[in-house]
Amino acid sequence: MDVVSQLQRQFVDFTTSLYHEGFLDDQFTQLQKLQDESNPEFVAEVVSLFFEDSENLLNNLANALQQQIVDYKQVDAHVHQFKGSSSSIGAQRVKNVCAAFRNLCEGKNLDGCIRCLQQLKLEYSLVKSKLETLFRLEQQILAAGGTVPSMA
Amino acid sequence: MAALQKLPQLSACMVANEPSSTCKPELVVSDQFPAGLRVLVVDDDVTCLRILEQMLRRCTYHVTTCSQATVALNLLREKRGCFDVVLSDVHMPDMDGFKLLEHVGLEMDLPVIMMSADGRTSAVMRGIRHGACDYLIKPIREEELKNIWQHVVRKRWNENKEHEHSGSLDDNDRHKRGNDDAEYASSVYEEAEGLLKAQKKRRDAKEEDDGDLDSDDPATAKKPRVVWSVELHQQFVSAVSQLGIDKAVPKRILELMNVPGLTRENVASHLQKFRLYLKRLSGVAQQQGGMSSSYCGSVEQNGKPGSLGRFDIQALAASGHIPPQTLAALHAELLGRPTGNLVLPGMDQPLLQASLQGPKRISVDHGVAYGHPLVRCPANISKHFPQAIITADDVRSGLGAWPSNGPGTVGPSSNLGGLVGQSGNILMGMLHHQQQQPRPHHQPQQQQKQVTQPDPSRSINVQPSCLVVPSQSSASFQAGKNPVSINRNCSFNRSSSMDYSLLSSQSNNSSFGIAQIMDGDPKTTSVLNGYPGPGSVSPSMSSCSINAENAANRQLQNSTVASNAARQLPVLAPNVCDFQGSYNTKSGHVLDQGPLRNLGFVGKGTSIPSRFAVDEPDSPMSNLNCGRIYGENNENKVKQEPSMEFIESAKVGIPILQNFSSNDLMSVFSE
Repeated sequence: MDVVSQLQRQFVDFTTSLYHEGFLDDQFTQLQKLQDESNPEFVAEVVSLFFEDSENLLNNLANALQQQIVDYKQVDAHVHQFKGSSSSIGAQRVKNVCAAFRNLCEGKNLDGCIRCLQQLKLEYSLVKSKLETLFRLEQQILAAGGTVPSMA
Repeated sequence: MAALQKLPQLSACMVANEPSSTCKPELVVSDQFPAGLRVLVVDDDVTCLRILEQMLRRCTYHVTTCSQATVALNLLREKRGCFDVVLSDVHMPDMDGFKLLEHVGLEMDLPVIMMSADGRTSAVMRGIRHGACDYLIKPIREEELKNIWQHVVRKRWNENKEHEHSGSLDDNDRHKRGNDDAEYASSVYEEAEGLLKAQKKRRDAKEEDDGDLDSDDPATAKKPRVVWSVELHQQFVSAVSQLGIDKAVPKRILELMNVPGLTRENVASHLQKFRLYLKRLSGVAQQQGGMSSSYCGSVEQNGKPGSLGRFDIQALAASGHIPPQTLAALHAELLGRPTGNLVLPGMDQPLLQASLQGPKRISVDHGVAYGHPLVRCPANISKHFPQAIITADDVRSGLGAWPSNGPGTVGPSSNLGGLVGQSGNILMGMLHHQQQQPRPHHQPQQQQKQVTQPDPSRSINVQPSCLVVPSQSSASFQAGKNPVSINRNCSFNRSSSMDYSLLSSQSNNSSFGIAQIMDGDPKTTSVLNGYPGPGSVSPSMSSCSINAENAANRQLQNSTVASNAARQLPVLAPNVCDFQGSYNTKSGHVLDQGPLRNLGFVGKGTSIPSRFAVDEPDSPMSNLNCGRIYGENNENKVKQEPSMEFIESAKVGIPILQNFSSNDLMSVFSE
């Protein structure tokens, strides 16, 4: 098997596993469909926007939970935002943790929230590294002269 | 951003990232409908915004993105008629999505689709209740977006049907009121029609009804929308206040208004909107405590500071489809009349204080008060109407002869601008002013029916709220102080409001027609520049938004004042006109830039302030396109000459501007 085919195979397997493991969901596929000649870097662009945004949100969340008097409304607002953006790019596990987080906010459960934030950070860094791997694979395929297989 | 550079070329909307400039009106052809549907997307989440943008582009829609609601609102106001539908997120930091929804519904009557990651039934219900055409749950799929054009069409057709039933008010209005008070409504309408012909055609195509849109007779067959001009709205407000908001039924209102061609249905739908608006305000008002009520109840007593302003502006704006021009005109008219009505129930405390600071506020009130008796406290609107009037009178007298101040008033008026920014300081000022002044003249000028211009002795009238800044130092205002206070206010606002219009407008403000007043006050001007539109200040809005709104109002006021003055206030007119004239020229330039600025950044939700800085050069053009209002305001209202100059400087087709200015505003409604 030549390099391109190997890489492509790797790409497909990796992507499939991401879906199976719930890191990504169908929304990510939608994003990939939106990428076209006029927007060849669309997915990468959106994902990097998501990374930036998420990092801010996570910082804000950490700050909010460290306050003397925790403003749960504010925390909830951040989580809601995170939920929205993660669901838009298809980061399913992150989105699910956000949903759980919101419940904890409603219950004003500080310990629960802090633990949930940790979990959120973990899920976020996982999906981040997975996506970065995915992009690397894409780059490798393109560098080797191949085309990235469509998962749609 | 590429979009910025394209602005000059764009005839209408700003496209966030579209170098290929899909703004061309001829973009859409009927068989490709709904291609080119002009969508404005508002979402504070940049990730979602980018995704939506891409999806919408793939649907062949024409997309403009905005990450801040206040910016979006200003954009909508500046570029009336440039958008067909608005997609907005529910949770946004600077303004609640539902508030935006209400504003858009009242002012521009565009279909608004809400979006949220919150899919709970209760949330969706809330969206529906607020009037959203649809509620999409994130993550949104492309297929869902493909269908949004249905809402646009449905809404248009329903409006058309409604109008058809009610007779062609548009027609009658246009033709009859052509040369009179209603002149500008109708002529604006017609002119706007011409200007927007291309756009209209596109719209028609969208409506699959390609037929009758034609420039001379724009909406006769197809657009049954009633154009609620300033005068018309004023009459409406008078009628409602006379009857009492509780007892105001469309039939009686119609009778009182006695406008040929107006149908009960027209009044009913307008009343509904107005009620919604008032309800919203009263919610705020209540928070303010007795302010509004006290104001309403006791105009004589100096009511409540500040509450008026907001209310008035909001009422005006909310009442509906009032184009900035009409609002301004309305203001102008009101100026003549007691502005007592302008109670703003919802004034924030800070605002009040702010207003207290300055006489300027008062002047604002004047401007604002123009004509909405209903604006008064929601609770007793109708009842207080007369009182309100008185207040206005008082204020007016206190203010003395503004016109005489002429240029001098500019200063104070600028304060107004600042006031506005301060979330309705104007109103506050007014109230404040009123409070301070003993009401010597309690002229019971019942505004209720005061559509006509108040007696000339009221110099106040003439000046648009902005101008109102009382140079006279009656009680609260000290002319000298005004500038000072204004600046203070301005700076005050500046820090708080940041968003959008304020920042950008700074540079523009001075030139902005209305902002003229505010020359000294960059902030305020910016606000004004923000949009000429109605000052629908929602109390809950951030100060920024209010500023913007106020500014817009002011501008309107200025322009309307000028125009009204010319028409109705013969005595005052000279003063005003001159005043305005000078402004116009100045503002002309600024306006271009101002609006442009605000618009420029819409593109990607990038920091607007930076945008503003950048946009200036480009602004003239783009502003003009959608910022007709700016031009219009100046032109229509003020003497011709000034506006002419303005226009020229703006490098915009002067004739177009002149013609369209009013049209633009009206056309929005007609659409």
